Amino acid sequence: MGAFSLITDTERRVPRVVVVGLASCFGCQLQITNAEQYLMQILGQIDLQYWQLVTSEDMPDQYDVAIIEGAVTTRESEETCKAVRAKAAHVMAIGACATTAGVTGMAMPGLDGRIAEVYGDGLPDASGEFIAPRPVSAVIPVDSEVRCCPIDPLDFVAMLQRALFGSNRSLDTRTLCSDCKRNETECFYNSGTLCLGLVTRAGCGARCVNLGRPCNGCAGLSPDANLDAARAACDTYGVSRADFDKALEMFNQVNPVLAESGDE
Amino acid sequence: MLYRVMDKRELPALVRAFMESYEVVAPVKRGSGYIFDVIGSPEEIELDYTQTASSPKKYLMPPTETLMKFDANMNLVEDFIEQVTPRVIFGVHTCDINALNRLDVALIGGKYVDPYYQARRDATIVVGISCVPNENCFCHLWGADEAQFGYDLFLHDIGDKYLVSMSNVEATNILEAACELSEATDEDRIAFRQATRVRQSAFNKDIPDVQDVAMLMDVFHSDPFWEELGKKCLSCSACASVCPTCFCFDIRDVLTPDGKTGERQRTWDACTNPGFAMVTGGHNFRPTGRERVRHRMYHKLNGFFVNHDRMLCVGCGRCVTACKTGINPIEVLRFFKRKGADHAK
Amino acid sequence: MQSNMSRGIIEVDALREATPSMSGKEMLLGNAYRPWPARITSMRDLTANEKLVEMRFIDERVREAFVHEPGQFLELSLFGVGEAPISITSSPTKQGFVELCIRRAGTVTGALHSMHAGDIVGIRGPFGRGFPVDKFRGNDVLIVAGGLGIAPVRSLINYIHDNRSDFGKVTIVYGSRTPSDIMFRDQFEMWRHRKDFELYLTVDQPDDTWDGEVGVVTEPMKRLDFNPANTYGVVCGPPIMYKFVVQVMREKNIDYDHIYLDFERHMKCGMGKCGHCQIGHQYCCIDGPVFNYWEAKNIQGSM
Repeated sequence: MGAFSLITDTERRVPRVVVVGLASCFGCQLQITNAEQYLMQILGQIDLQYWQLVTSEDMPDQYDVAIIEGAVTTRESEETCKAVRAKAAHVMAIGACATTAGVTGMAMPGLDGRIAEVYGDGLPDASGEFIAPRPVSAVIPVDSEVRCCPIDPLDFVAMLQRALFGSNRSLDTRTLCSDCKRNETECFYNSGTLCLGLVTRAGCGARCVNLGRPCNGCAGLSPDANLDAARAACDTYGVSRADFDKALEMFNQVNPVLAESGDE
Repeated sequence: MLYRVMDKRELPALVRAFMESYEVVAPVKRGSGYIFDVIGSPEEIELDYTQTASSPKKYLMPPTETLMKFDANMNLVEDFIEQVTPRVIFGVHTCDINALNRLDVALIGGKYVDPYYQARRDATIVVGISCVPNENCFCHLWGADEAQFGYDLFLHDIGDKYLVSMSNVEATNILEAACELSEATDEDRIAFRQATRVRQSAFNKDIPDVQDVAMLMDVFHSDPFWEELGKKCLSCSACASVCPTCFCFDIRDVLTPDGKTGERQRTWDACTNPGFAMVTGGHNFRPTGRERVRHRMYHKLNGFFVNHDRMLCVGCGRCVTACKTGINPIEVLRFFKRKGADHAK
Repeated sequence: MQSNMSRGIIEVDALREATPSMSGKEMLLGNAYRPWPARITSMRDLTANEKLVEMRFIDERVREAFVHEPGQFLELSLFGVGEAPISITSSPTKQGFVELCIRRAGTVTGALHSMHAGDIVGIRGPFGRGFPVDKFRGNDVLIVAGGLGIAPVRSLINYIHDNRSDFGKVTIVYGSRTPSDIMFRDQFEMWRHRKDFELYLTVDQPDDTWDGEVGVVTEPMKRLDFNPANTYGVVCGPPIMYKFVVQVMREKNIDYDHIYLDFERHMKCGMGKCGHCQIGHQYCCIDGPVFNYWEAKNIQGSM
């Protein structure tokens, strides 16, 4: 069938892809390479024109799909996003930094003081002009997102295929707990332990919980997250509300919902 | 119902006999609770379990299963053979047996037979076990505290022995070959009667028994209660995952990494999932927790009943522990009880 | 025991692969999740956003066994992209092919728009309960459609057309947003002067070319004169339309169970199992999508 959704019939060709890195640890770009056994197959479906992790060249001028990793933390990266949006038919944000501002978002409160604290008077030019950290979607419309810190390589492959071929598969906005029930793992709340699964978007299959660790919320708040109900659940199960709100800051510091629903 | 009596000490022999030709799943300890899992030896079985975290539904309708494989370029179905494991589900409580009967109605009753569910159901032997209710059990309110059918063997605990109901030839043959069965004595019959009495009196009396629940679901459909209950929903669908009767699903295509082939999968879904009633174009027919929670309860306590003369709830109580914000049918019953109180407005 | 049979795996042909002796009906119903390949035989633009697509099953047995009622739908498969429920717009009086009216609305319909005659798609069905044409027979029929709602009722209109003497007076009221959104305009233009169909086309926003009626579908309806005792009403269109159209029909004394409504929900499995299309206690895909107003009134959350 090959109904490629990005390109009209007259110009059917292998889609040109670029991978751009903003403020991040580059771990999600690295994760792409961890799709090892499938990597060549994936490369066979696209024309990879630029991958920031592995090249020092400049980005090409024309492309169809742009994959952005990392948070927007400078005026320059904001401009990069806008330029990418103007050229790409499909923009995909990958990783917690790009989709939620991630850990860079934690710098948000008292940002100016922090910069001075780190750099003193000697802020290098290469740092660019700092702005409040934000996810890519706060700057430009994003067509698709691969969540979590780091991304799952196969999630990335699936999302790339979605961008290439189209899919009517619904993207769940439900929160994580039903995955724990499917996995039949014990709920941390039953032993009074904080877990962010109550409000975090499902999709990872609750892999941290499967490894015995509570969810730290790296997939970000679900748009349907019910913070009030979750805080009430904390009360019921003897978990501190303050701890719950504090834990949310790691991956959701800049989410406006968090500011709006402040408990105190 | 044909029944015989077996000595409890023969139970391992029965399990071992099943293990020779079947995969045997049974309640086992996991953390502080229990789950149904494949066993390697009869000693792993915890027949005194109160309730497992999830139900045996997963063995008949797995959380994700392949419906077919396809060639994406040609847009054609590829050869696909479903692998079904002949299985004994050992130690199933009456609520879960009644739940399987409801799944049968939904998935193989009616005009369309679900061939995937049917293949597994046909390859499954169900061995029931009597139980004593815990504080969250309310199967008796929906008549799910007895299993009339839907099992192959049922072990009623009568002290040192089991009174075994036998409804399937294959399972009975294995039972008879593995164990020394005897005719029931008057003493056994009295013991059985005693056991049923103990069980009947053990239900939590704080859970209200309300008449005409299905009609009440219609009558109070617009009550502010649903807003109240819906506001508590975390949109996680934990309730549906642990529910032994929830069978709603999603169908989705998953491509192989080379993009050339793939499989069409069915995966558990739930009407409490925010996008469940969304149509193309973005309109959502149940946009908030109020509509979603109400719809789930309505299907359980009215919709299925109206069509099939039985509730789509078997009172297993799993959602009572699974839902962290206290949304469950007991709360609905309490609401109806409040509405019926003398001082209700 | 060390039997090779022990703990074996049973291999089940869940797909119910077709054997030479299998009938078309068995092929369609053996595993109703399985789409059968059909070839696109023609595609033409109806509007800027809607195409009329004609498809024929490749297997002759399936082609013959696939017999639908007006108002029924099918599941259209593009493997890898997914499935979409689409109402059948051709009349069962014409066999051997199905016509679908495809609006570019989602991923599947979007991908289909970029396909061509000769391409293969998957089809399963037909599903659902359509319009009760046997009840309509011998009576007058008032059909009110809005927008894409014309797609399923076109099947009914053409069915009546091909069995015209079986029905009494037939009135069609069809509302569109603009004149260029009118689907099957050529057919309706041709029918304008026919005596056996009374036709009212209205648009919300006229342009220079439009010399017809402007406004909502209920306006021409209010002027209509008919005998409620032997009239059946049919409504299909955007959700907002139903309430107002039904209100006018009720004012004209058409009985509750003589008014038929075609509902839209997301029918994913088509078999009353997956739950996505549930309305109250009913499944739109098997109990509907066509319900009479009495039934609809009895469904919580239907309107």
